[in-house]
Amino acid sequence: MLEARNIVKHYGAVKALVDGHLSVAAGEVVALLGANGSGKSTLGKVVTGVVSPTSGELRINGKPVTFPSPYAARKAGVTAVYQELSLVPDMSVTENIFLGHELSRGGFQLQRETMRQEAERLLDLFRPTISATPDDLILDLSPSERQIIEILKALSQQPRLLILDEATASLDSQQVDRLFELVERWKLAGMAIIVVSHRMDELFRIAERAVVLRNGATVGSALMSETSEEDLVTMMIGEAVTPQRYASEGEAGELRLSVKGLRTDLLGGIDLELRDGELLGLGGLQGQGQEALLLALFGAIPFEGEMALQGKPVSFHHPKDAMEQGVAYVPGDRGNEGLVMIRSILENLQLPSWRRYGVPISQSKAREDALEVAQDLSLKMESLDAPVSSLSGGNAQKVVIGKWLLREPKLLLLNDPTKGVDVGSKGEFYTLLNELRQKGTAILFYSSDDEELLGLCDRVLVLNGGVVTAALEGKDLNRSSLVAASMGVSEEVPA
Amino acid sequence: MTWRRFLRQNPYLFALLLLIGLIAINASIQSNFFSLRAINGNFRVLLPLMILAVGQSLVIIGGGIDLSVGAMVSLVNAILVTLIVPESGAGGVVLALLVGCSAGMLAGAFNGLCVAYLRLQPIVTTYATSFIFSGLALLILPRPGGQLPRALTRFYRSTPLEIPLGVYVIIVLLLLWALVRSSRFGQYLFATGSNADAAYTSGIPTALVKFSTYVGAGLLSAFAAFALTLGIGSGNPRIGDAMTLDSIVAVVLGGTRLSGGQGGIAGTIIGVAILGIIRSLISFANVPTWYQTLVNATIIVLALAGPGLWRLIRGRV
Repeated sequence: MLEARNIVKHYGAVKALVDGHLSVAAGEVVALLGANGSGKSTLGKVVTGVVSPTSGELRINGKPVTFPSPYAARKAGVTAVYQELSLVPDMSVTENIFLGHELSRGGFQLQRETMRQEAERLLDLFRPTISATPDDLILDLSPSERQIIEILKALSQQPRLLILDEATASLDSQQVDRLFELVERWKLAGMAIIVVSHRMDELFRIAERAVVLRNGATVGSALMSETSEEDLVTMMIGEAVTPQRYASEGEAGELRLSVKGLRTDLLGGIDLELRDGELLGLGGLQGQGQEALLLALFGAIPFEGEMALQGKPVSFHHPKDAMEQGVAYVPGDRGNEGLVMIRSILENLQLPSWRRYGVPISQSKAREDALEVAQDLSLKMESLDAPVSSLSGGNAQKVVIGKWLLREPKLLLLNDPTKGVDVGSKGEFYTLLNELRQKGTAILFYSSDDEELLGLCDRVLVLNGGVVTAALEGKDLNRSSLVAASMGVSEEVPA
Repeated sequence: MTWRRFLRQNPYLFALLLLIGLIAINASIQSNFFSLRAINGNFRVLLPLMILAVGQSLVIIGGGIDLSVGAMVSLVNAILVTLIVPESGAGGVVLALLVGCSAGMLAGAFNGLCVAYLRLQPIVTTYATSFIFSGLALLILPRPGGQLPRALTRFYRSTPLEIPLGVYVIIVLLLLWALVRSSRFGQYLFATGSNADAAYTSGIPTALVKFSTYVGAGLLSAFAAFALTLGIGSGNPRIGDAMTLDSIVAVVLGGTRLSGGQGGIAGTIIGVAILGIIRSLISFANVPTWYQTLVNATIIVLALAGPGLWRLIRGRV
């Protein structure tokens, strides 16, 4: 159906893709795999016409084609479900599904009723896992419903090749199951499907073949039935890694944080205790209130309930109050909450700390301290004066953490810090966390990556619907109990 | 939620209530407010701004802004009074109108080219081009002057079927707008203004949509200049300059969101009427006319600050 050969894409001096190959047949589901920076998203964008390749060949059913725009790709039957949502918030579900291919007579007289009925029919595919109606505005929908509208929008164009790029990221398990049933059905109807997902188990559930990219080149292709997760990971990173436990056994110190009955609109009474030198994990499906909990503890959102640091009751009205008590928060959304992209690394590192350098600011001292932290983090950079936007995802994340390390926090709140970070940087990050623990920092660590929680934490609280459904430690801390608890299964799971 | 959707679909409701209130106040002060003569007079004065603000609405809904509409009015006004003399016949007048339309559309196309295809900032670009258009107007008509044939100005004052001419123009504008709303282009316009990236990845030619809003604003500026020129019967190369701010205020008053993607021209027309009545109240109150500018500017700042103020009032930041 589609074949991409020798695809090269340069962004200025950056070579995002040096030799991309990809082929998919009608009625086939292909998984596209690669670590961050492997070029898999660039390859996906080339196939859907979002970016034009520097060189290379695209063929559809054997005929060479070029896609100067997403519109051209769509006309050729290639449609993508984007990870970054392509919905218009102020418009209704129906309007969004048909955006760009409205039914009309010669451009006028939109056939609103026909489109509405068609939208209803598409929404029925996902019933009862969604409750959205054709007239709802996108801005009133939950993230998972928006994601499903995105899928339906792509589907409404009756594509011959559908690309699902992290399309399950914000879906709950029932919605994922329903999607996979539909994928099976579409496949039998002769649709070609390319799946990009960071959830390996999902890929094994639906894909027949995997195409693996590494450092901008396609390095291999394997039938899912003849390969294993380890083999694919090996292909992705180029060397064998065994799932390992990164945690070092530190001794727990004094009680740092205790919380009783913490409530917000998303949280229904959370109790927790955290000691110095302890790494407490927060797990569960995404969007179960983990972020709200971290933000509440950081004074960024108001809450009801009791919170004490070292036994002393505290109430934070503003992140500034929390910072003064040695609390630091590392956000998950680097670009928006963590960094000032166009400013220098130095300025970003020192942003929360300038007032320690007096008036006028002692630039040389600030620079010295920043350099020290940059070296501790083995930050790969040109100089402290280079803008943060010049760094890769993993290095940029180090700057976010580094800016709090400069304040020597006593309690570190981490909100999914390794999201979108490559494997190598993750390893360095784990080492860093262990060093911090040994220095006695108390760490509350939310991660959407179960492996990470299992590998790093002594204890994991699993949240579901804003309440703790399990506190796992010791031999209870394993994959099956973690998954069971995150799905809200309350009975004991045999280890 | 249904209430919220109702407001969203009829964003001019607040403006309409304000207008009714203001009309009531004005009518109680000015006894002959509802006479055909007074109404026709008000329409004559407000019609140019209404047409201009409709053009501004197009651009703002599409996610841009056009600070050169007033200068385009000046330019077309200068062209008209130069080409039309008191002795001009029908042919000469039609030719002049065609030249005026072309000039407006060319000026708008230039704005659109810079903003949509060269991706320059709309505010800076159209502020800069406004000086080009003003300069051209001064080049064509260095000082106020010119005179139109009596027949033309009489036509503009006419009230066919006892209804002011302006009402017909407004009806035509609203019908055209209904056509836009029921067309594919209408969907593209609102989608582009609300989230241009999403619109682009949905296969919408967003650059072309933006470009066409500026061309539309240019054409409507030319029409506004026709109305203005017929109303005063002569030319002034600076005559439109003050209208730019008014056009934006009217759009905002009418419930169109300044950041784009929401609103409509019915609200804008109501917004112009509100401005007209405020102006007449200010003149009745016997205060200096510069209060009008003060009121206009305050409305814009309040509109921009509105959402933030609302959050402050509710006590959560």
